[in-house]
Amino acid sequence: MSSVPLLAFEAIEKSFGAVRALRGVSFELRAGEVHALLGENGAGKSTLIKVATGAHAPDAGHLVIGGRRLARLDPASARVHGIACIYQQPALFPDLTVAENLALRLEPPQLARRVDRAGRRRRAAELLQRIGAALPPEAEVRNLSMPEQQLVEIASALGAGARIVIMDEPTASLTQREQVRLFQTVRTLREAGAGIIYISHRLDEIFELADRVTILRDGASVGTRVAGELSEAELIRLMVGREMNSLFPPPLGPVGDTVLELRAVGCRAAGVRDVSLTVRAGEVLGLAGLVGAGRTELAGVLFGLTPADAGEILLGGRSVTIDSPRTALAHGLAYVPEDRRRHGVVLELPVAQNITLAAHRTLFPGGWLRSGVERKLAGEFIARFAIRTAGPGAPVASLSGGNQQKVALARWLATAPRVLILDEPTQGVDVGAKGEIHRLIRELAARGLAVLLISSDLPEILGMSDRIGVMRGGTIADVLPGTAAAPEVMAAALGTAGKGAA
Amino acid sequence: MRRAGEFLRGALRRHEVLLLLVLVVEWGLFYHYGTTVNRRGVVVGFGTLDRQFDVLRHSCEIGLLALALTPVILTAGIDLSVGSLLGLCAVVFGQLWHDAGLPVGAAAGLTLVAGALGGAVNAGLVAGLRLPPLIVTLGTYSLFRGLAEALTRGAVTYTDFPAGFLFLGQERWLGLPTQAWVFLVAAAAIGVLVHRTVTGRAFRVLGFAPEGARYAGLAVGRTLAIAYVLAGTVAAAAALIYTARIGQAKADAGTGYELYAITAVVLGGTSIFGGRGSVPGTLLGVAAIAVLKNGLATIPAVIRLNAAEEMAGLLTGALLLLALALGALGQAGKVEG
Repeated sequence: MSSVPLLAFEAIEKSFGAVRALRGVSFELRAGEVHALLGENGAGKSTLIKVATGAHAPDAGHLVIGGRRLARLDPASARVHGIACIYQQPALFPDLTVAENLALRLEPPQLARRVDRAGRRRRAAELLQRIGAALPPEAEVRNLSMPEQQLVEIASALGAGARIVIMDEPTASLTQREQVRLFQTVRTLREAGAGIIYISHRLDEIFELADRVTILRDGASVGTRVAGELSEAELIRLMVGREMNSLFPPPLGPVGDTVLELRAVGCRAAGVRDVSLTVRAGEVLGLAGLVGAGRTELAGVLFGLTPADAGEILLGGRSVTIDSPRTALAHGLAYVPEDRRRHGVVLELPVAQNITLAAHRTLFPGGWLRSGVERKLAGEFIARFAIRTAGPGAPVASLSGGNQQKVALARWLATAPRVLILDEPTQGVDVGAKGEIHRLIRELAARGLAVLLISSDLPEILGMSDRIGVMRGGTIADVLPGTAAAPEVMAAALGTAGKGAA
Repeated sequence: MRRAGEFLRGALRRHEVLLLLVLVVEWGLFYHYGTTVNRRGVVVGFGTLDRQFDVLRHSCEIGLLALALTPVILTAGIDLSVGSLLGLCAVVFGQLWHDAGLPVGAAAGLTLVAGALGGAVNAGLVAGLRLPPLIVTLGTYSLFRGLAEALTRGAVTYTDFPAGFLFLGQERWLGLPTQAWVFLVAAAAIGVLVHRTVTGRAFRVLGFAPEGARYAGLAVGRTLAIAYVLAGTVAAAAALIYTARIGQAKADAGTGYELYAITAVVLGGTSIFGGRGSVPGTLLGVAAIAVLKNGLATIPAVIRLNAAEEMAGLLTGALLLLALALGALGQAGKVEG
């Protein structure tokens, strides 16, 4: 093992607007090691990878490759420096063969040159053999499985002389057997002296494969450890490990009767299965889980966007069928969606029209618009939620993210719902508006609303929830009390703890 | 003074105000160059009341189609089939009256139903199956015209309608051409629908944010269906007026009208991407095109060249492109300012 690291980040900083995605991250990758990069959603892993591939230029800090400090890096020069990234979704041409795809990546572009088919095949076969892949070079890529395509990507990385290979959740869509094969390939690469940056949420993989682990938290490195000297519990503590401060407002009222009950609810199309859950009046039920755990999908099932095809949904003790957002609305469900700009508000419409949009039926009997009623209601919400706008007639596009979110929230409260589903309500919202939204959630709960709070912000889940439902693989993995600690939630989300009682 | 200036700038940004100015200029030019005194000392040409009524008469059918298209385009949809449906409805009306021997009133009523059914075909495919409106109505554009041709074997023309029916297209009532009253009532009704009802609001929301409309619990399918069925019904009304005006019903009635109507709607400031637009704007768009087309035919130099049709087409195209360019510049100015 050489003493000069293949790749080193030195105090890398990167901000997007007001968000500091990376705050001085240092990290080094040695030749012949698998170095795992771990962290919660939004800890800064993807940003760091994009800095390494040249997709993002860091605001401050240096990249050192093979002992040479680089002034700048773009995707083309990253390739020259031997950096290759294997994404979850391989980007190959489906109509071309494996050999042709490899040739496209590896041969210098030249006009009017005879195509050396035999040579291409020979080289492809050699590369595939080097990574231990039993693939025929003349196979069309469209006929290959996802993991086989990943192997082609790896072969291409190797053919390009990549010494630094980044793998971003490569096993996300693999079966157990395919995973074993991929691990063999990774080990082959390691023995050949390459350095591999390996990103995964699955802790068992980390322990099986990684030599060292670097943990990111809130855009900063918490430390680099030798994987073999670390226990699962320690790892989780490092990932979560922040002090909980009491920024969150306390509950204001008691919890009442069950309003919403799910009995083994599932939807094949949405990938949601066997969800059983109750939410009571005045309760905030937090829904935690990793990205892709099925939280937004569950909200879509409840709100009729992707109607349930299994199980039973009860509202106030009565079994109901929710086959569209319209019926959900009629049953007193409200959903403030995650993608605010596309789904939550209509940017071009004025604030007032956005606020009344879901409550047409009650506000405008007979279908006649009543501008007086509209202005009055909008005025009330603007005052009550402290929405900062030039006026009720200003288009929502002219508002800040936090104020747009308040408009989305006002739209649904105007329908006087019984159940309020909030999907990432404070994502992309500044700190001030975030606090106001938290206070509003408490107020609404105190008035007897049943609140389902989906959030990837773990402190928010812990600070706001009366109970915490943890989702994993499209179902509720565990329901924890609101007093649960961060590592417990994280462990349930990652699937390392034993199955808890639901 | 400054406030007056700001007010003026604000007003000029409104598409309708600009279009109204264009219309006034157009009208003034034609009044000036298109009005002449003939050898016997009688005023002829653009400046006469008869000519003005002619403009009105000629703009009713395309005007009705433009009104019908306004809600459809507000939803970010399109209906290319309205001209063909006009032809089909004219033929259906002729057959019901002539071949089936129905009274004119009943035949007209059933023709409106036929138009609604034609619109319902579009509605079913667009709202029900969520197929792209451009392709769906391109299909029905050929289908409806083809049906009209098939029903008449491309040869039959229905004529000799009773005077009571022709009154609708050739006479005056309360001082105005009869069909102008139909047009005005349709304009008022569609104006109210678009600007004063939740359905009209839903048209816009669908145009701005189709996914957002669903997430807000709006009745997306029903709203789309209303727009297309209404378009079909109004196309049938236009067919009746067309038949009454020229006194005959045949399969090629209204050929190419859909393009004139779309031009009028877009010229009137309705965004082809949906959401933005107004019924008054459409009315102004219709008027601008109608005045241009009829006015040119009154200018002696144009008459001598025998090129009124061609020049009208050319100038309409130029006007549309100019309006679009001005609109784009106005939008850009708004973003900066």
